[in-house]
Amino acid sequence: MSTVLANQERLRIFGLLSPAYLWLTVAIFLPLSAMLYFSFLSEVPFGDAEWSHTTENYEAFFQTSTYAILLWKSIRLGLIVTLVSVLVGFPCAYVLAKVIKGRSREALFLLVILPFWSNSLVRIFSWAIVLRGNGVLEIGLNAVLPFEVDVNLMFSTPAIVIGLVHSYLPYIILTSYLALQAIDDNLIDAARSMSANKLTILWRIILPLSLPGLLAGAVLIFVPVVGSFMEPRILGGRVGTYFGTVIEDQFVAVYNWPLGAALSFILLAVVLLILAVASPVLRRAQT
Amino acid sequence: MSGTFLARLGKLWLALILFFLYAPIFVMAFMSFNASQYYQLPFEFSLKWYEKLAGNTEIIDAATRSVGIAIITTIIATILGTAASVALFRFEFRGKRFLQVMLFPPIAIPWLITGTAMLIFFFGIGLGRGTPSVIIGHVALALPYVIVVVSARLATFDATLEEAARSMGADGWTVTRRVTLPWISSGIIAGALFAFAVSFDQFVVSYFLSEPGDSTLPVLIYTSIRKGFTPEINAISTIIIVVSMAVMLVAARFSNFGGER
Amino acid sequence: MAEVSVQNITKSFGSLKALNDVTMDFPDGGFFALLGPSGSGKTTLLRTIAGFIFADSGSIRIGDEFVENTPVEKRDIGMMFQNYALFPNMTVADNIGFGLRVRKVGATEEKRRIGEALELVQLGQHGDRKPHQLSGGQRQRVALARAIVTNPRVLLLDEPLSALDKALRVDMQFELKRIQREIGITTVFVTHDQEEALTLSDKIGILRDGKMIQAGPPREVYNNPVDLFTAAFLGEANILSDISGDGADIRTPANLPAGGTLAVRPENITISTSKPGEDAISTCQAVLERRVFAGAMATCILRNNGTDIKVISRDQDIPPNIAEGDQLWLSWPVEKTLSISGS
Repeated sequence: MSTVLANQERLRIFGLLSPAYLWLTVAIFLPLSAMLYFSFLSEVPFGDAEWSHTTENYEAFFQTSTYAILLWKSIRLGLIVTLVSVLVGFPCAYVLAKVIKGRSREALFLLVILPFWSNSLVRIFSWAIVLRGNGVLEIGLNAVLPFEVDVNLMFSTPAIVIGLVHSYLPYIILTSYLALQAIDDNLIDAARSMSANKLTILWRIILPLSLPGLLAGAVLIFVPVVGSFMEPRILGGRVGTYFGTVIEDQFVAVYNWPLGAALSFILLAVVLLILAVASPVLRRAQT
Repeated sequence: MSGTFLARLGKLWLALILFFLYAPIFVMAFMSFNASQYYQLPFEFSLKWYEKLAGNTEIIDAATRSVGIAIITTIIATILGTAASVALFRFEFRGKRFLQVMLFPPIAIPWLITGTAMLIFFFGIGLGRGTPSVIIGHVALALPYVIVVVSARLATFDATLEEAARSMGADGWTVTRRVTLPWISSGIIAGALFAFAVSFDQFVVSYFLSEPGDSTLPVLIYTSIRKGFTPEINAISTIIIVVSMAVMLVAARFSNFGGER
Repeated sequence: MAEVSVQNITKSFGSLKALNDVTMDFPDGGFFALLGPSGSGKTTLLRTIAGFIFADSGSIRIGDEFVENTPVEKRDIGMMFQNYALFPNMTVADNIGFGLRVRKVGATEEKRRIGEALELVQLGQHGDRKPHQLSGGQRQRVALARAIVTNPRVLLLDEPLSALDKALRVDMQFELKRIQREIGITTVFVTHDQEEALTLSDKIGILRDGKMIQAGPPREVYNNPVDLFTAAFLGEANILSDISGDGADIRTPANLPAGGTLAVRPENITISTSKPGEDAISTCQAVLERRVFAGAMATCILRNNGTDIKVISRDQDIPPNIAEGDQLWLSWPVEKTLSISGS
């Protein structure tokens, strides 16, 4: 009897779970495996092209310094965008979680998070309108400032950074806010009753306790920024060549898919490394 | 907090952030009503870009396709995701933790990698580019969001309600249909809205998977931007941003997202 | 150590008057309770003394210093919070040492005083633990050690025992009192548990709706409550206004202010089957309605002319063989009659 029940239950679990996970397998896990296989091919194995197994796609990465330099450029972009977002977003999250009280807090929080869930491409495009020479920013600044300035940030690294920070800032605000909100106000009161000043409280209570949230947000920003290609293309123009744009080119312009696959996997390795390094702290956040 | 000066400074900072987040969007919306093609000021109100948009069959087709894809994605992802959430919540079994971790890659791996991997795989199995491939990809990206949102709602579900229903003689399916599903319906609606937003706003995966001349709206916008600025793109972008923000606002109401209530 | 004096403190939150002209003295080295129902302003008063809240008017003196404009960081107080508020990211020793490090006492001095404090609360071996590894009672001891390790001028406790279960709470009451005596620190604690207030304190301040209703030694406020609210809040009281009938002889104690209400606490009434003959007692007759056995003590509800009278006494002191519906005699010493001046 019990085995019949157990079998029935097993069948039901299987029936409920398998469609979703089958889909994920077909759409995510098999493609990633296929890409790994592809990265060891000499040619695209479609049609009647000659192809063989090779490691030359990975060798290409190490033979010229071009790819490594671009990867470093992408990592550096990721670090800058993450750092700026943390410095800008954490105080903002703090104000939301600990300074603003009552009903307005929830509304403001939603207002901060909302843009994140709107189309990122369109938001990057909106910056193109603002930042271009003779654009709104320049006209606005010249209307306010007493002297004439010439602002043409368009097609520059700062433009890319601004656009990316705009895209991913809500991430760090969201995760920091959740972590900060979980900190009992009594802890801050207790520290004050022991004569601690604001800096001590920030350094010894608030930062250590919100670190997991802060780090989660930083990872959530760093990972996609390292793989970004659309934002540098639109806002960076000719200076916007990054590791992501090179991968894009392999698939849509140069059609060297095996090389693109190899570069994608190198990027994936970097991403996994970052996640692995961050995971002990992130796991601590769950307990 | 004492130190009202610091508190005031903090609120000012928050206001600046909100300005930073919304200003470009408003500028774009503003410019879509400006007569000048090159965003020249002074502002001269005009609806001509919206009129031109209405006559641009390429954009209209892409928009229709995007909405269609989003609706199909939403239906599939919501059904599959809800079923999986119920199984993950209701049953204890070996490998559950592993299955939960498996939801992570679609969210955490940059879409550039997932998108190119899908392109290779779909070509490998002979499916190639096109709307079916786009839908397969979108559902996979939306599934984890649906599962996370529905599971969060399920976590607030009191399991003794199901036991109570059982004690009154209801069988498993009746319990699910009459007790569990009504409780999580707000979670399912929120999950569906998230799925719609993920698909409708998705650019990267669509970019690699859609066929040239048969692309989704974001892909069309991207190629248009790279060709040069046109105010029609402004107009359609304004419409997109209004639609996606409205969808998320409704989703936030249903999912209790980010608010302790 | 220092005395604390609160004079005419008023504090409003919007239209709500949380504290209304509150005055109370806390002499040096005493143990004081602020007692009242929730929303009475007792916690607001404690947080005003601590310096988390600034009063709209009135003065607060700690020792010789008027502190009403001093923020909490500069008041040199020790405080224990309701949920203990131990820093979860620090060990027990680091929690206790937090205030010492802020005061830059030096590493060796810090270590010595942490050790002393841990000994005082009998947690000598637990310095390296994290708060989540401790039991509720142990956390409470750490919180206490943390509050007193800096030798503050006054110790403030915000419902310090409310998170503990009943048995542990009684243990901790004695422990708290022992430690307070040992270091002789002026201590103010907030509670809504009248038994706790009566057991622990040298003086109780009773608050209601932001007003200080009565302040005095436990025995005084228990026996001479100023109004019905206080009488009922500190324990049960039988109001004697409507007692009548054959043999009813309610005597008024000499100290009763004119126009006041008479009452008697359930544990001061004796039940007998015939009219008691002693002097200096009040008597009346009543019908036994219900008798509830509860171990060593028993509770009887009796009825006189539509008024329920509650009697609590040792089970063996109740006459044997009495049954519900019996007409019985009640008596109590005149000096045990409560004299409630207000209403």
